[in-house]
Amino acid sequence: MDILNQLLGGFAVALQPMNLFWAFVGCGLGTAVGVLPGIGPALTIALLLPVTAQVNPASAFIMFAGILYGALYGGSTTSILLNTPGESGSVMTALEGNRMARRGRGAAALATAAIGSFVAGTVGTLALTFLAPAIAELAFVFGPEDYFALMMLSFTSVAVVMGRSMVRGFAALFFGLALGTIGIDTQTGQTRMVFGSLELLDGISFTVVLVSLFAIGETLYVASRHSAAPAAINPLSGGSWMTRQDWTRSWKPWLRGSVIGFPIGALPAGGTEIPTFLSYALERRLSKHPEEFGQGAIEGVAGPEAANNAAAAGILVPLLTLGLPSTATAAVLLAAFQNYGLQPGPLLFATNPDLLWGLIASLYIGNVILLILNLPLVGIWVRLLLIPRHYIYGGIVVFAMVGVWGLSTSWMDLALMCGLGLVGYVARVHDFPIAPALIGLILGPQAEIQLRRALAVSQGDWSVLVGTPIAATLLGVAALVLIVPPLLAYRRRRAEAEGQSAAAAG
Amino acid sequence: MKNGSAAAAGGRPWWLGLAILIMGVLWLNGARSIASTTNYVGVGPAAMVLAVGLGLVLLGFLLIVQALKGQLAPASEDEEEAPFSRPAFLMALAGVGVPLLTIRWLGFPFSAMLAFTLVTHAFGSRRTLLDLGIGALIASLAWLGFSRLGISLGPFFPLLG
Repeated sequence: MDILNQLLGGFAVALQPMNLFWAFVGCGLGTAVGVLPGIGPALTIALLLPVTAQVNPASAFIMFAGILYGALYGGSTTSILLNTPGESGSVMTALEGNRMARRGRGAAALATAAIGSFVAGTVGTLALTFLAPAIAELAFVFGPEDYFALMMLSFTSVAVVMGRSMVRGFAALFFGLALGTIGIDTQTGQTRMVFGSLELLDGISFTVVLVSLFAIGETLYVASRHSAAPAAINPLSGGSWMTRQDWTRSWKPWLRGSVIGFPIGALPAGGTEIPTFLSYALERRLSKHPEEFGQGAIEGVAGPEAANNAAAAGILVPLLTLGLPSTATAAVLLAAFQNYGLQPGPLLFATNPDLLWGLIASLYIGNVILLILNLPLVGIWVRLLLIPRHYIYGGIVVFAMVGVWGLSTSWMDLALMCGLGLVGYVARVHDFPIAPALIGLILGPQAEIQLRRALAVSQGDWSVLVGTPIAATLLGVAALVLIVPPLLAYRRRRAEAEGQSAAAAG
Repeated sequence: MKNGSAAAAGGRPWWLGLAILIMGVLWLNGARSIASTTNYVGVGPAAMVLAVGLGLVLLGFLLIVQALKGQLAPASEDEEEAPFSRPAFLMALAGVGVPLLTIRWLGFPFSAMLAFTLVTHAFGSRRTLLDLGIGALIASLAWLGFSRLGISLGPFFPLLG
């Protein structure tokens, strides 16, 4: 009952006209950036971070939530019509959705994606509503050593899960950790790694790193590998909306996708790639029409798209209850909380219930707004794709400059933007994941604080790090995450080698 | 990097690992110069820098080994993607870098206009005047809009004071 009361209080916040306005702005912006190539929710929120100076926190987070969900809705539109998935989460949607569009079933694909997103978004938000307070309650007993262990788990799982290889993931992570050490040490006031520059004393701003690695890196990459031929857009016209058969084939994948997406999204390694992939594989196995997969099976759109949205709700669980970001977008949201001097975690549920419950309530409202914005009005969003590529990327660079220069009109920030933009470009070319770097940058300093706090409490006794069952378990899991994948790869290689030698002998 | 003869060099990016390694050495060196306060229980301010430096050195070393063994081939490119174009890359880079030279004298709107135009040209646009105009429009609108939100983007045109 308590949860329902608080949720009602949240709706009272979210339904205020001003907050509804921000929800609309967020949903519209989110859909637009989801449709446009090259910009995602993380980047959009990062560019809007300066706005937090002027807008009250509840409104800002309601807008950010709209962007987060809106980008998912918009992303599916581009994947289906253009076959260019903007984010890793919509790769699977593109697979079947674009086939459907080519066969003149684009409208049905868009509809099942939008309704599936709505169903899964609502299911995921429901799960978040009832799960988050419970986890926050649990987290109240967390001491510094538990938080440290949790962050270690987050580091290892993010580095292992994202990207093509562990070495790449960890290289990105340590790059972020290294950037995080720059500036004044918060505990002793000593300067670290500032290279004699006064402007680096405050550390490197998260916004600068994110904007440079994503926006500038992506612009350089696309510019250097750009073909003049415009991409072909599959026409929306013609083709039918969802038929009765489409509905009966879609509703189960929607629900299954939701069930797969939410829990995986809520893990510290989170992300949307794995749940969408799993959902696709599952639908393919369960389908009565497996032969249609690869030719435009509607289940292959409905399931992954639902999983994608449910995972996005799941990502908010560790973020809001533990302050633990598991994707780039979550890391930006954490930075936004920090801009307001707020630290997500169990205490925030007690001290700022209006903000948190307003945010959660706005997720329900945002889903409704997005369904309205995307189902009848999808034709308008598609027009965005008619903007020539060079204007889109020119605009991205201008807004990246706004985001970086607007922080403190510092020349050093612009220079960093250039340098880190090149790093982002190299990372893009050589397939290094960017999210671990961002999570290392934002969680690294916190992990250090928790470690030093734990050691200060224990008078320098390192055994405190495994002193509580929670910390010991989390560190154990972190170690497993680190050890198991290479072990499996080694066993597979050995099995293959044995198979080959056996074949050679026989 | 993937233009004919350069492909072999691009296929073994040992310099990537070297860069990480050098970064690690920088951090290790930095850790040495941070005075460890002895009155502090547990780890001092240098420990984290030291740990990060060690990690970077190790990872840089691993990356070099992987690259030399040929395990670090560049990302498999989509067949739809055009080959690497050096002029376009340099033009886009110039667009990103030009504000460094101009922003103190010409201010945000003009610098952003130049950046916009250079980037559009990197993407193959050749209508310079139109691009300059659109760039000026977007940059001025951004300057005005964000100023109204209370975010300072510096003086409009510093040369005029």
